[in-house]
Amino acid sequence: MSNITHDHHDHRPSGWKRWAYSTNHKDIGTMYLVLSMFAAIIGGAASMLMRAELHEPGIQFITDPQFYNVLVTAHGFIMVFFVVMPALIGGFGNWFIPLMIGTPDMAFPRMNNVSFWLVAAALILLVIAGFIDGGAGTGWTVYPPLSSADYHPGMAVDFGILALHLAGASSILGAINFITTIINMRAPGMTFHRMPLFIWAMLLTAFLLLLAIPVLAGALTMLLTDRNFGTAFFAPDGGGDPVLWQHLFWFFGHPEVYIMILPAFGIISEIVSTFSKKPIFGYLGMAYAMTSIGVVGFVVWAHHMYTMGFNVETRAYFTLATMVIAVPTGIKIFSWLATMWGGSIKFDTPMLYSMGFIFLFVVGGVTGVTLANAGVDMAFHDTYFVVAHFHYVLSISALFSMYAGFYYWFGKMSGKRYPEWLGRLQFWVTFVGVNLLFFPQHFAGMAGMPRRIIDYPDAYAGWNMISSWGAYISAVGGILFFVVLYKTLTSNVKAEANEWGVGATTLEWTVDSPAPFHTHEVTPNIIPEPAE
Amino acid sequence: MKKNSDLLSKLLQKFSSMLPWSVALICMPLIQTSYASEPQPWQWNFQPPATPVMEQIIDFHNLMFFVEVGIVLLVLGLMVYIVVKFNSKANPKPTKTTHNTTLEVLWTVIPIVILIIFAVPSMKLLFFMEKAQNPEMTLKVTGNQWYWSYQYPDNGNFEFDSNIIPDEDIKPGQRRLLEVDNQVVLPVNTEIKVLLTARDVMHNWAVPAFGIKIDTIPGRINETWMKVTKIGTYYGQCSELCGVAHSRMPISVKVVSKEDFKKWLKKAKSEFASSDNNKMLKLAQLKK
Amino acid sequence: MELKKQKSTTRVGDGVVNMRKKSSRNGLTAVVLGFLVFSMIGLAYASEPLYRIFCQVTGYGGTTRIAVFDNKGLVAKNSITVRFDANVNKLLPWRFKPMQNKITLRPGEQAIAFYEATNVSDKPIVGTAVFNVAPFKVGEYFNKIECFCFTEQILLPGQTVQMPVTFFVDSSIAEDRNTKEVSTITLSYTFYASDDQSEVENLSRTSLEIKKSVDNLRRTQIIQPG
Repeated sequence: MSNITHDHHDHRPSGWKRWAYSTNHKDIGTMYLVLSMFAAIIGGAASMLMRAELHEPGIQFITDPQFYNVLVTAHGFIMVFFVVMPALIGGFGNWFIPLMIGTPDMAFPRMNNVSFWLVAAALILLVIAGFIDGGAGTGWTVYPPLSSADYHPGMAVDFGILALHLAGASSILGAINFITTIINMRAPGMTFHRMPLFIWAMLLTAFLLLLAIPVLAGALTMLLTDRNFGTAFFAPDGGGDPVLWQHLFWFFGHPEVYIMILPAFGIISEIVSTFSKKPIFGYLGMAYAMTSIGVVGFVVWAHHMYTMGFNVETRAYFTLATMVIAVPTGIKIFSWLATMWGGSIKFDTPMLYSMGFIFLFVVGGVTGVTLANAGVDMAFHDTYFVVAHFHYVLSISALFSMYAGFYYWFGKMSGKRYPEWLGRLQFWVTFVGVNLLFFPQHFAGMAGMPRRIIDYPDAYAGWNMISSWGAYISAVGGILFFVVLYKTLTSNVKAEANEWGVGATTLEWTVDSPAPFHTHEVTPNIIPEPAE
Repeated sequence: MKKNSDLLSKLLQKFSSMLPWSVALICMPLIQTSYASEPQPWQWNFQPPATPVMEQIIDFHNLMFFVEVGIVLLVLGLMVYIVVKFNSKANPKPTKTTHNTTLEVLWTVIPIVILIIFAVPSMKLLFFMEKAQNPEMTLKVTGNQWYWSYQYPDNGNFEFDSNIIPDEDIKPGQRRLLEVDNQVVLPVNTEIKVLLTARDVMHNWAVPAFGIKIDTIPGRINETWMKVTKIGTYYGQCSELCGVAHSRMPISVKVVSKEDFKKWLKKAKSEFASSDNNKMLKLAQLKK
Repeated sequence: MELKKQKSTTRVGDGVVNMRKKSSRNGLTAVVLGFLVFSMIGLAYASEPLYRIFCQVTGYGGTTRIAVFDNKGLVAKNSITVRFDANVNKLLPWRFKPMQNKITLRPGEQAIAFYEATNVSDKPIVGTAVFNVAPFKVGEYFNKIECFCFTEQILLPGQTVQMPVTFFVDSSIAEDRNTKEVSTITLSYTFYASDDQSEVENLSRTSLEIKKSVDNLRRTQIIQPG
């Protein structure tokens, strides 16, 4: 991406070796971002195919319903593991953790390289899984017995499992790297309570990864041996229980949604503070709100399984525990608003995306409170209402934070300033598109439309048509993003070292733009805050 | 629940019941005259409830809905205010406030209070759904790829399959993807225990108007109950991804008076008893 | 927060020492984190037996108990109905049904019920039954003394067998706040084709031998009169 040569004293390798063998956190971050964009094209294409199919009632062009199920599955996996996580964690995390804490590179640069190439291999395996032996049409939840060898014979599910294993291994290595770096390599004077919130978010995310991914890995291995080697962890006929899979999957799966959204919280916090030209409001409250979201996230998993037929006490517990999460989330929302309050805000594209993020997150958050209630969930479980909820609260919220982070930091990464008007246009197109896409799905879901169906009763036609148009508009937003990318890389407008002015106080703005190949070779010292 | 939200929920019921009904009125000529619970074009709310459970779900949902819309509007309002008042032109000099203990306590405590207000009716609803008082009959539901089987263990233990009517056989006035060849017939105002299981993969038996949505899990029996208070036809769809024809295994329940149910039972017993034998015969032939 | 980049004033030699210290600290951190990862994987695997034990102890998911002691002497007043339910997995060509629809008994009393299974295929098949009770919360009160589900069952082509289950409902069910309103318990079985069909091979070998000896017998019988 940033193949612009610089006349620095640094000795960077040239050609393909620079990338393939890279141990440089910036180059690896860039590769993660490119991979994420590439995966977004595949995952986005899957969404477009699905929305085009659902544009009208009846079968339009996907004549094999199994292929539709494969699209549903692939879309979920790709967006979660190969778009959101590589961009927010691998991309922005690798780029800006060392820059923001004032260290030359990550703790284990070679391991960092391994992490990236594992993800790249995983993406290839996953795409293969979509095309061999009819594909894996299990949904991203891979519930047995549908995912067992009896109902999904062939190699597709096995390839999917291997893909997730590689992606998981990559995440675990990445998490170890991030935690070690953040704990041990901060610049002198940067105590935990003085780290930027983005670093807090990445630290917590890494811990969630470290605790959640091994459980997925264990469960996937059990599923793999169930499928191929005659074990019976999840097969009733051998004394197993398919419900155990759901417990294990969601024990991973619920923290996973925070793995996707905590980095977003971090990015939004940085941007809101920068553009308001104010320090973040209630810094400690924000940091510990994220911490408590992460901790509570581990004890609420069964709210994904209310219709399983649990004992009523179990459902009561999970209802109450889930609702608790609304409190720290509320603290974050109001703290962002309070940070803006009294600020002197310039509404450039990163700030627009941050405002958009806060709005979308609130809309998705309140429907989350509704869904937390096991009683009401009987009406909503597995309907489009749930689809609308989780796309608001994590998919398009995460997307908005990725866009926000891109506009905020791309000057630092490439040394070029993006065209502001084009950025704003891209924001408005995307904002209108995603709301048109997902808001009507609340209505279809309330009226009873189930998820993951290729064809629906004619009564749902209206909302689905609007939703599909919204999808096309969002796709235009996506294409515009690549236009912005192209225009920026080919423009002559240089980005200054600190293009956002006095509000931008974190360390990455003290280095040149584009950030040189080696930064912070001399450890920056942080002046202690004067006592209040 | 009724005490603290009486006014709210009444107001809301009025408000929320108006639109679906006006939509229904406009569409009236298109709908058959008997009471049927099915999705309507442009419907933006729940299907009309037919069980006490669904009525309570809607009441509780309305309470939450009202508060949640309030929260969204509050945040939106604050954001609009910020855009107008605190843009760099209107407010060139930012303040330095980073703490306000009162505010921080308020926005922690108020959400907690709201959640407690939600939690009480939530728990009431949950425990109400859980306990059947005195079930008078039993219906057994079995999920198959890709149809439902129904069994009446207390009424002669006969069993039949309920298959979708494919698109090409749909007659005018029938609902595509919702109609089946053999409807489940149930008596009105009768407490019914429902037992659910599956023969292959997981399915989910869901009827929106009843407030029922239970996974049918192979190798495990699940239990719930319902009491339908209105005569009519009700539709639902499988709500757990179960493979290729997941979208083509609808649920259609015909609720009739108790007398009509007895008549139907008599007819069904003879009809489905024989078909059951035929099925076994077919199976035996198939194996040969 | 005021951040400022300053020139480091430490001497080069110190830097090298610092670096070495730092990298050993990094290694230690990584080892600790790696340990955490492996313990989480271990936990995932431990969940399988833990989950099973948890279900057996608490009756979670309607898991029934295997009675070691019976419930002598303690019989509750109110009677309770036990309904019998039977299912066959799609991949197993058997018929399977309870021989009685339900039994009414008092908690504490021992009862016996029969199920009937028929193999409608032309092959011998080993079947295994999984089971639970509904509502789930009564699982911990439902005790089986003897059950066909404790072992695998083998059925020859066309063979029909009747299988007993002996059980009692713990009389303390009437004292539990959560379960005292339960008037009907459903005991449900689902037969699966067993993963381990090796018994069938043994069986078919023996049945082949039987067949041979029968043929021999016949031959001898034919020969003798001549």
